[in-house]
Amino acid sequence: MSGNNNILSVKNLNFSYDKKKILDNVSFDVGKEDFISILGPNGAGKSTLVNLISSVLKEYEGGIEVGGRNLKELNSKDIAKMIAVVPQYTNPGFSFTVAEMVMMGRNPYISRFGVERKEDFSAVNKVMEKTRILSFADRKFLELSGGEKQRVIIAQALAQDSSILLLDEPTSHLDINFQIEFMNLFLNLNRKEKKTIIGIFHDINLAIQNSKKIMLLKEGRIYDFGRCEEVISRQSLKSVFNSDVFVGKNPITKKMYVSPVFSPTGQRAAAGKKVKKYLRIHVIGGGGAASPVINLLQESGYDLSCGVINTLDTDLDTAQMLGIPYVNEAPFSPISIDSQNKNLRFIEYSDAVILPTVEFGPGNFSNLVSVKKAVGLRKKVIIIDEKSISKRDHTGGKAEKLYRKIIKDGAIVVKSVDQILSHL
Amino acid sequence: MRTGIRTLKYIFVLLIILGLVIVVAASIGAAKISLKDTSLILASYIPGINHYIDTDLLEYQDIVIISQIRLPRIFLSIFVGIALAGAGVIFQGLFRNPMADPFVIGVSAGAALGATIGLVFITGVGLLGISTTTIFALLGAMGTAFLVYNISRVRGKVSVITILLSGIALSAMLSAMTYFIMIFKTQDMAKIVFWVMGGFTSASWSNFVILAPVVTVLVTISGFFMRDLNIISLGDERAVQLGVQTDKVKKILLILASLTAAVAVSMSGIIGFVGLITPHILRLLVGPDHKILYPTSVIAGGIVLLISDTLARTVLIPREIPVGVITSIVGVPFFLYLLVKSKKQIF
Repeated sequence: MSGNNNILSVKNLNFSYDKKKILDNVSFDVGKEDFISILGPNGAGKSTLVNLISSVLKEYEGGIEVGGRNLKELNSKDIAKMIAVVPQYTNPGFSFTVAEMVMMGRNPYISRFGVERKEDFSAVNKVMEKTRILSFADRKFLELSGGEKQRVIIAQALAQDSSILLLDEPTSHLDINFQIEFMNLFLNLNRKEKKTIIGIFHDINLAIQNSKKIMLLKEGRIYDFGRCEEVISRQSLKSVFNSDVFVGKNPITKKMYVSPVFSPTGQRAAAGKKVKKYLRIHVIGGGGAASPVINLLQESGYDLSCGVINTLDTDLDTAQMLGIPYVNEAPFSPISIDSQNKNLRFIEYSDAVILPTVEFGPGNFSNLVSVKKAVGLRKKVIIIDEKSISKRDHTGGKAEKLYRKIIKDGAIVVKSVDQILSHL
Repeated sequence: MRTGIRTLKYIFVLLIILGLVIVVAASIGAAKISLKDTSLILASYIPGINHYIDTDLLEYQDIVIISQIRLPRIFLSIFVGIALAGAGVIFQGLFRNPMADPFVIGVSAGAALGATIGLVFITGVGLLGISTTTIFALLGAMGTAFLVYNISRVRGKVSVITILLSGIALSAMLSAMTYFIMIFKTQDMAKIVFWVMGGFTSASWSNFVILAPVVTVLVTISGFFMRDLNIISLGDERAVQLGVQTDKVKKILLILASLTAAVAVSMSGIIGFVGLITPHILRLLVGPDHKILYPTSVIAGGIVLLISDTLARTVLIPREIPVGVITSIVGVPFFLYLLVKSKKQIF
């Protein structure tokens, strides 16, 4: 397995401290250009894993191979040439200058009986330029600000010229400008210099927005390891962090983002106050209007489906993220007969249909037709009417007419998303 | 930027100062010998120059005083100074503590007890011209260091905090044992107190011949670990990440520094201040980089102790003041002056 593509290979790694098992049979491979974030709650074993890979902790069972060589057979300087660590803090006992601090990163290349050579000085200069600390190279490290200090520490690690960079919460005590600056630096190192990056980040969003892969650690075991989209979901984060979060997609970057759920209705549902009369609910999608509805109902434990949604619609992302079955249509295309029939099938199987405040045009008019059919099928239909239909009818009055007919035929109208729970 | 060149510059300057101090120290004393005569006598011992010196023009008595009385004492004090400052730099670096001195791990109390036993119970010439007092002091110092080191070793690692605490605890116990002996041997009390106060009154070439090579070897080996010591001051874990075999290097440095301190204290008694404050003064002057700090501190330690000892034997001729008294009375105000003047955080 530790062939051409894997720069780091961990096999059946076990580590205990004071008879307490910290890492339990951890195995994974890291490719040469990977950018991996390790996520998990405090005590999951993240830092222990970093300390084992960087050889700070040595008494483990199992195997760690770096560049195809067993870590235990390498001496400390060889390891430092291949793996550099950026710690959260460094607190030197003495007031070294910035340049002296960075030069310490060259230690693996300088013999005990030798002195710093030209290439060491040029390497130090290069990384100081890259981390923008060259201008204060002669200042005392202890007199710098937190962000400047961390730049020096990053430069120190870069001076090691290693192929693997281990980041142990390198930005968590810094302001957002430094978090962004350093993340961009790490991304550049990964993309341009082909450095393998394995990081622990305090901020889940920072991690998933920038990493190629995510490792979820829970109680010393790997809960999941893979690409962000495969690994990050509401269920997986709930299971690992034991707290409920909303997983969505950033509308601009199209990357996933995670935010905590603070919903009073959610709490009510969780309290079990509501008896679920309707088990299956179909939500009509479009333009992101369905997302808050799906979020609320999913949280309340209903069995959901969604459709018809165009590909690239936020509602589709939401449905995918939460693992809800959906009917989708090609981007910016009118809903086909085929899709409409699929949608109707979902409606037939549902106990209730919800129509969020969707804008209607010729392309999605057939969704409204489906709702009309749902009323005809004697399904419970709830319409969320947050904006007057006349203002969101782009079909020249056709949609408004049908909308009013649906209401006349017995659909329930509510004025906001959180009111729907009281009708279910 | 280039630490090597900077270091050499500092060393060169310090060696010149040391040379001048040696000449002055050799010329002053109870018997007045002119600086010119002193220089000629000293030069006559330097290979290469000695052919040009006509010793017939010099007083024979002066030559004997300088070569047999003053020079052994001068060089002994220089090497004890080297040893104390060297051990001081290493202990301060390892412990990351400005209060650390060569005696933190209890070698002084161990040496005092050993010397006391030697003075009180064993009378004899000793070995290779070394007195029993010195031999027992050395055994006491090394025994204590060994004990403290082993107490502080847990699972192959050495905890510096435990060393500090066990060193203090063991020192207290050993001092108490010394006092205990003193109660029963009141007739030897003065001798014991005088030894403990430290000094070079009994200096001889035979002491020097043992001390100099041992200190030279220990200090030279230690010197090769100064890059590691810099990095270890970032913390043990960080040092490992930067490729330092932290546990091994710490052990090596602890052993080297303890031995250095033990050898020094057994030859001179307990001389305070030099090993504590010389590194601080040099840190203010040359910065914290141990690659520069160590060699410069070592030479400066030699200079400081030589000046102190010269004052000790000349200020109140024919009386001698214990050198430890001089180091503290003259050195501490100087150090405080630097501290206030620089207003810098030295640690």
